Amino acid sequence: MRNINLSILIIALLIVCIGILSIYSSNYQKEGGLWQLLYKRQILWVILGLTLFIFISNFNYRRLWDMTYFLYAFVLFLLCLVFILGIVRLGAQRWLRVVWFNVQPSEIAKLVIVIFLAKYFSTKSVNDVSLPISKLGVFRALILPFLFVAIPVGLIIEQPDLGSSAMILLIFITMLYLGGVRLKYIFVFLLMIILCLPILWHFLRDYQKDRLLVFLNPNIDPLGAGYTVIQSKIAIGSGGFFGKGWLKGSQSQLHFLPESHTDFIFATFAEEWGFLGSSVLLLLYYLLVKQGITIACKTSDNFGRLLAFGISFMLGIQVFINIAMNLGLAPVVGLPLPLMSYGGSSIFVTFLSLGVLVNINKTRAIF
Amino acid sequence: MRINIINRIVIFLFLFLGLGILNTEVIQSKRFRELSNKNCIRLLPQKGSRGRILDRNGAIIVDNYLTFDVMVSSYGESEVNKTLSSVAKILDADFGGLKDKFRNSYIAPFMPTTIAKNIDIKKAIALEELKQDLDNIIIQPYPLRRYPYRKLACHAIGYLNEIDRWRLTKLASYGYKTKDIVGFGGIEEKYDYYLHQEEGGLSVEVDHRGRLVSVLGFKPPSNGKDIQLTLDLEIQKIAEESLNGRNGSVIIMEPYSGEIITLASSPSFDPSVFVKKSDSAVVSLLDDSSASLVNRASSGVYPAGSVFKLVVATAALETGKINLSTTFYCPGSTYIGKQEFSCWDTHNLQNLIGAITHSCNIFFYRTGLLVGAQNIYDYALKFGFSHPTAIDLPYEASGFVPSPLWKKVYRLKNWFDGDTANLAIGQGELLVSPLQITRMMAVFANRGTLVKPYIVKAIGGRDITSLRRKAITLSLKESTINYIRQGLRSVVSDAYGTAKVLSDLPVSVAGKTGTAQVGRGQPHGWFVGFFPFQEPKFVICIFLEHGGSGHASSIVAKQIIERMIQEKLI
Repeated sequence: MRNINLSILIIALLIVCIGILSIYSSNYQKEGGLWQLLYKRQILWVILGLTLFIFISNFNYRRLWDMTYFLYAFVLFLLCLVFILGIVRLGAQRWLRVVWFNVQPSEIAKLVIVIFLAKYFSTKSVNDVSLPISKLGVFRALILPFLFVAIPVGLIIEQPDLGSSAMILLIFITMLYLGGVRLKYIFVFLLMIILCLPILWHFLRDYQKDRLLVFLNPNIDPLGAGYTVIQSKIAIGSGGFFGKGWLKGSQSQLHFLPESHTDFIFATFAEEWGFLGSSVLLLLYYLLVKQGITIACKTSDNFGRLLAFGISFMLGIQVFINIAMNLGLAPVVGLPLPLMSYGGSSIFVTFLSLGVLVNINKTRAIF
Repeated sequence: MRINIINRIVIFLFLFLGLGILNTEVIQSKRFRELSNKNCIRLLPQKGSRGRILDRNGAIIVDNYLTFDVMVSSYGESEVNKTLSSVAKILDADFGGLKDKFRNSYIAPFMPTTIAKNIDIKKAIALEELKQDLDNIIIQPYPLRRYPYRKLACHAIGYLNEIDRWRLTKLASYGYKTKDIVGFGGIEEKYDYYLHQEEGGLSVEVDHRGRLVSVLGFKPPSNGKDIQLTLDLEIQKIAEESLNGRNGSVIIMEPYSGEIITLASSPSFDPSVFVKKSDSAVVSLLDDSSASLVNRASSGVYPAGSVFKLVVATAALETGKINLSTTFYCPGSTYIGKQEFSCWDTHNLQNLIGAITHSCNIFFYRTGLLVGAQNIYDYALKFGFSHPTAIDLPYEASGFVPSPLWKKVYRLKNWFDGDTANLAIGQGELLVSPLQITRMMAVFANRGTLVKPYIVKAIGGRDITSLRRKAITLSLKESTINYIRQGLRSVVSDAYGTAKVLSDLPVSVAGKTGTAQVGRGQPHGWFVGFFPFQEPKFVICIFLEHGGSGHASSIVAKQIIERMIQEKLI
């Protein structure tokens, strides 16, 4: 039990250190003091994140149960605020400026929706034992929670942030599954989504269509939308088995790789540390997710169990989508690699999530 | 149960990632490593300049001048536009036009795009100064061939053009590549190996904007070697001016060594049209019905006419069939077999010297029949006919000398006395190049050696004349040469000599005219001779294609020699 808490912290810190090294390397050759400062800022985020982690891990997760609706409303408020006051960067309005740093509310939204769904699907079984989730009708099991999820997802799609919204939908499906909703409903829901895809296609922005088409064939536009994927694949592939060595990756050092310190930090890392380094990193991520699932399995409280599952799965999915996108195995969507990519919001939310996990593990013993 | 499935899904997803990484980083690693190197390593080629071509006195015939290409690293539209507008100002060019050019020649964001070519040095310097503000501009020096005398000696020199498929297959193993500029014809082709420059360049590491990060390696370009010719620029000029656009050729050669002092062929062409790549000019040159690209001096073959009589005379004297006291009567025409053969005049009784002087056909019909076709053939080959002279110019023609055996094998016909008579006066199937005739005359000028003509004296400052193949001694009898020389001199000095127009020159000339009948059109006119008679310094051969007669050629020879004397070149 204690071992699990400690190992989560150690694994997280290891990944964070790897991330800082890679951020340092990716900005090593860039001119301007601002770039050189990035890794220092990341260290600052990590220290703040750790503080948050320690605080949250001692904050009883059952209180989140009480705060769920408040958190949900708060996130909706933030997402609306993004539309009014958001900063436009890289063609998307995703950031809110808070005093001296930028917050990405969609990152927070992911966690809040996990909490919300965990509560929704555990309420029934606590209050009315005779009515398990599996007996719920289609409205209460599927449509109602979907509406609650659809509102923030709609706001996030409009930013536009396809990656985050797709991820939230994935989390929703997982939570439906784990919450015990009838498989029939889940299949119906999946079918609906698949049927809606052609309609959704028309609502996508041009660049999003490009990215999806380029995912199918990066060579249709090697210098436009396909550029990042091609450069990222070249970076990873040229690393070889042992890698080119720290600060020696030509793709990232010479700026062929765009976003080399944020979404494509895995490519930077893989180029310099090779297959060996990437395998170790992947193993670390797997162990982290594995710890979360272990915690979930051990928890008998429904809310805590679903929460732990949701958080682990959220981390796992993010890691999967990001790395797959770096490898050209998934379309390019703006999703950071948790704990590695530069950015305060992502680091905060990830540490927050890990704090909740640790707390679930701790509190469970008291029951 | 559901938890187990979720667990398996997570494991599956991570395994999928692991395999993806394995595939990219290990299995396909080699391919990506190459791509990565291409990504950041650029080669900036630096052209060397091709070797110059000099005349025997070191005067420049062909050299190079520097032009500059302007290129722009193609990153960032606003930056490119800024650069283009500054460049447009300096080049007095239209901004829109420059932009179109940029768009047309744009390849990739990392490749510099060429926006202007052949900029002169003043503008290049002005552009170079822009570099301080605009770091995306690249000025690349590019040496181009310059022909200060335009058409002068164009056939001896040749021209430059992009390598063609045929040459590429021949030269690929010597490191030639497609798009290389190589010599076509003349010295440019024959000595391309020495003349051509070695391309050097910088291999640099660049960033995503194509800006230089560091220099990885540098190979300095090496210039081609200069080639010094045996041509004398002044005499060459005189010769070409004297041809005055008439089709034909002039060769002046040093009789003892075989050095070509002048090699002119007309019509000529301007090699610079290939440099400027003005398509219409090139096409009209290639379609030209008068074949201006053909070097008539060494690659053209024609009937020899009376100049070939010297071979028959030598054969007759050497084989002892005739001597100086042998005389034949010329009534103006004669029957050989059933066919009538005529002379161009009635010369009555005359010996060898008289026959050469008056170029009597009847005498040589008779002599030819005495000597026999086989002997004439043997001596013609001895004088180097029917084979290339091995001059260091490409595409030399070998000419043709008929023989009884050849006629039997290839024409399936018997050789008749009429054929011998025709051969004896240089008509029939006989074909010679002006260069071969010049070399034949040199034998009489230098008293018995068959020289090997050459046109290149030194390569890269190193004299290569000593490496030449030695001349062949024909071991002719002293008396033979003396008699024929006597005849050649009297062609000019005798009151009835066929080239008596040359007699009033202050230098004593000896020579032989020839009027070669052709199937269609005017006969070709030949004059081949040497001067000064006692100590020959030059062998001269004038050939006028459909020039009418040997007399016309003698007049050209007179003009050339006169001007050489005027300009104190003798």
